[in-house]
Amino acid sequence: MKDLVACPTLVFPTVDDTNTAYRGVIALLIINKAGGLIYNRTFGEGLNQLNSNDYLVLAGTFHGVHAITARLNPLREHQAAHYHAQQQHQHQASGSLGGGGSSGGGGQGGPLPSRPEPPSGLEVMETENFRLQCFNTQTGTKFLLFTDTMQANVDVAMRKVYDLYADYVMKNPFYQLEMPVRCDMFDRKLNSYIREINNSR
Amino acid sequence: MPVQVFSFYIFDRHTECIYSKLWIAPPPPRPLSTVPAHTSNHELSPSPTATALHRQSAPPASTTTSAVGSNNGGGGAYRDSRSAAARAKDDAKLIFGTVFSLRNMVRKLGGDDDAFISYRTAQYKLHYYETPSSLRFAMLTEPGALSMRNVLHQIYINLWVEYVVKNPLSPVEHKNGEGVKNEMFEMGLDKFVRGLM
Amino acid sequence: MSNLTPAKGKEQPGLRYPSNGKTIYHRPLNRAKTSELSQASFAYLFSEMVGYASKRIESIQDLEKRLNTQGHPIGLKLLDLLLHREPARTQTRPLTIITLLHLIKQQLWTHLFGRAADGLEKSSDPSRPDEYMIIDNEPLVNRYISVPRDMSQLNCAAFVAGIIEGVCDGSAFPARVTAHSVGKQQATPAADGGGEDGGEGKEMWPGRTVFLVKFAPEVLERESFLGKG
Repeated sequence: MKDLVACPTLVFPTVDDTNTAYRGVIALLIINKAGGLIYNRTFGEGLNQLNSNDYLVLAGTFHGVHAITARLNPLREHQAAHYHAQQQHQHQASGSLGGGGSSGGGGQGGPLPSRPEPPSGLEVMETENFRLQCFNTQTGTKFLLFTDTMQANVDVAMRKVYDLYADYVMKNPFYQLEMPVRCDMFDRKLNSYIREINNSR
Repeated sequence: MPVQVFSFYIFDRHTECIYSKLWIAPPPPRPLSTVPAHTSNHELSPSPTATALHRQSAPPASTTTSAVGSNNGGGGAYRDSRSAAARAKDDAKLIFGTVFSLRNMVRKLGGDDDAFISYRTAQYKLHYYETPSSLRFAMLTEPGALSMRNVLHQIYINLWVEYVVKNPLSPVEHKNGEGVKNEMFEMGLDKFVRGLM
Repeated sequence: MSNLTPAKGKEQPGLRYPSNGKTIYHRPLNRAKTSELSQASFAYLFSEMVGYASKRIESIQDLEKRLNTQGHPIGLKLLDLLLHREPARTQTRPLTIITLLHLIKQQLWTHLFGRAADGLEKSSDPSRPDEYMIIDNEPLVNRYISVPRDMSQLNCAAFVAGIIEGVCDGSAFPARVTAHSVGKQQATPAADGGGEDGGEGKEMWPGRTVFLVKFAPEVLERESFLGKG
């Protein structure tokens, strides 16, 4: 292993330009639960600007890829088997107690069977030029935050963006669910927040 | 730092999966029976305890089956293993579709010089490396793994180029994984990856 | 809430009474004076109120009128509570426009929003002596609201205007109260580079709202008699 790593032919292009190194948060996309792009804002340089149709295609593609990445979990068989064993165990336990363990019930006497958490899809993607963090809400809305590769605390930023969305989009009486987000207040608060974190570095 | 490697795939420039290998034990046989059927056809996933449990038990027990390519042998007797092979083949297709879409997306956004390196979910991490000849390597590891880019690069230059490309008996094109049944390559890869774990 | 146990013996369907017989109405009125509400729950409620009011409307004025109507009875009822909570000496109905407006700016605003209003002005136009302005830099009801472009004249604080109107009516100062946005910086992004004429208020407070209180002629008439006496 050691000698392999020390191999002299190992040369990778590195992110060298000073202007590409610190770009902070570059862009935000919000994708609704059907895969439609409902928000798209760029905060800084660093990514190619696409036309609006390409952004829609990109959102749809990402939506599909995200679903596939959730299915690709290499340990799913093991976890399924484990879950099965657990279920059977519970089933037997409830059977011995005399409670009718019907197919839907799942052990009404004992503790509820621990339901496995749903598989998460793609959460972070890294490339040479940028980093993409994806946050999938409980309701299936996806927040895509594009940052430079060095950006720290993206989780915090993502949380704040979600906060702002919950406040200034979901509490806005004129916003229709699943439709494109056109809320001045959201834009304004988001801009000032992103500017703040981009300037603080 | 040891890292749990789950699987490894090579795709050629015709988008065909020409090699794949798993380093995870086949799942324990599923109890048929009294258990209600409603869970059986879902992708069930990780309770944290399950992940931990299998992470401990997996590496030593692993039987290394090269899944793709062996799927048409075997015959009908072993239904389980055949469906596992079919599943592995499907997985390979899905993985290729995923990395291909992401790679194109990355190029579109980051420019033509940009390259997709990896993505991770809560359950696993996929590392990607593409050679100038459009040979594509994908490796699935535990989600906490650091960048495996140089590992994939090493596999390319020290194993693939050495044992496959320079092998005069190896065909130029690898239809259905033929020719990558190369003992030197497979042994070297297995040894190398096990060294990481 | 813990004392909300059903009365012993007899089953009472529907309403439940606390075992000690004390409901929220038995509490002293001053007790809840400083209690607070969740802004999020208010925001969702208000969002639904606006949604309800915007069903089948003909115009923006229509919508504002409906919001105003929703607020009006609240103002009428609040007046009693506010006067009740005043110290005994000053527990009288406001008799002049100025005392009424002060009651609104201080007591009403503090009760509703936890702070006094940001300004109180009389119309500078001599031809309109019946107009007064109460200014709020950031109305709480509008905190999360982004008005769509095509409804740019709308200000959902029309609801608060309705409350003010209720207070005025209840004190026998019949008036029309309307809400107007004056911090229009965001609505015209094209002009915001060159248009520096707006003064400092626009930049700082994009949601700045003026409640225009226009008293009925008889109020002014009475006021002028009182002034002479």
